[in-house]
Amino acid sequence: MGAALQNLDYFAFVILFCIGLHTLVARPNLLKKLLGLNIMETAVFAFIVTSGMVDGGAAPIVDGTVTGPFASPLPQALILTGIVVAVSISALALALIIEIYRQCGTIEADELKGVG
Amino acid sequence: MKRLLAAMVVAAAAIPMFAGVAGLPAPGDAGAPAHTRVAARYVEAGVRETGAQNLVTGVLLNYRAYDTFGEVMVIFAALAAVSAVLSRGPPARRPGEARPQVETSPVVAFVIRLTAPFIAIFGVMVILKGHLAPGGGFQGGVILGALLVLLSVVTGRGLERPLLPAPAARWLQAAGPLAFAVVGLFGLACAGTLLGYPAGPGADMLRAAMMLMLELGIGIGGAAIILWLFLQMRGE
Amino acid sequence: MSQLFDLVMLLLLIFMALAVSRSKDLVAAAIIFPGYSLVMCLLWQHRGAPDVALTEAAVGAGVTTILVLLAIGRTCRREK
Repeated sequence: MGAALQNLDYFAFVILFCIGLHTLVARPNLLKKLLGLNIMETAVFAFIVTSGMVDGGAAPIVDGTVTGPFASPLPQALILTGIVVAVSISALALALIIEIYRQCGTIEADELKGVG
Repeated sequence: MKRLLAAMVVAAAAIPMFAGVAGLPAPGDAGAPAHTRVAARYVEAGVRETGAQNLVTGVLLNYRAYDTFGEVMVIFAALAAVSAVLSRGPPARRPGEARPQVETSPVVAFVIRLTAPFIAIFGVMVILKGHLAPGGGFQGGVILGALLVLLSVVTGRGLERPLLPAPAARWLQAAGPLAFAVVGLFGLACAGTLLGYPAGPGADMLRAAMMLMLELGIGIGGAAIILWLFLQMRGE
Repeated sequence: MSQLFDLVMLLLLIFMALAVSRSKDLVAAAIIFPGYSLVMCLLWQHRGAPDVALTEAAVGAGVTTILVLLAIGRTCRREK
């Protein structure tokens, strides 16, 4: 249990992921589902960036002034690409939601099931 | 019933995640395998091999340049898809009807016009200093794109007369993939692999020039794409 | 001290995510979301990831919020 408490950060990110997942699954409004998806994505990004951090480590910029331990640059590069992909997903999802509203008049998933 | 199903789905996802996360080495532990076996090599050899003091930019544009190529293609494809979806239907208003205007407050307009040059300089600086300081192509591109969106709101120019004229905007949006294609073919000629960088200490200037071109392409492409996403989603 | 900062940031994140999930007014959710993004940006800056923090601040609090607000403007404002 003592060892598990050190991973408090990871537990918080898992909780955030579950909040996002619950929003995605349980709320019928399509815009709310998209916000839940964004929360899930940022929770995963935070988890991966935290896995690359070092206690007392500096940002990975090697310009000769810092000689201490550096945070790992690999997860950060991965997450930069991930953030760009997340904004692309959000943009396309929002465009589709606008089009669904124009065609069907509603963006609640319960009412959309009845539309032919 | 539905709430029970939703709770079961979340529990089914949460319990394995908690169990898995509890077994990981503590965050910040410098002796974890992620740091001693993988990252140490890139931190030590990164500046020498890529020429970028910002190791994250070095990883993005040198070691994992293919992934960055994919990223610019993804955001370009998103713009193409958004344009395709949103330009299908009839316009939201009948022709001849003016768009419902919300007056921009004079305070907002004044502040935006006052700070716009400084934001532009900051955005360009973030792009150009990407390999020396925190920053890079996409960060500066988003800053410039947000500035263009603000100016569009303040001057009231929508899709009919956008801030970037339409023929030029097509090429600017494609600046990211185009820059990668040009630098990639150049790298093919230099080093034998697509996006390969010339090796050796004498090619420092060439490597820096290639990275700068990639960053400029990503930045300008990102700015144009963000402005166009805003204009498309705002409608007419 | 830095542990306390981390703890406060994480609790803020969880509360903001819950607020986004439970609010019925979509504009309220779209305004809390960039706040969540800003706290995430501060957390990453504290963890030694300035590039990621800059990108998240620009993208999460800038682009995504603008696009969500535009979409709310063209659809409905309240969740049923």
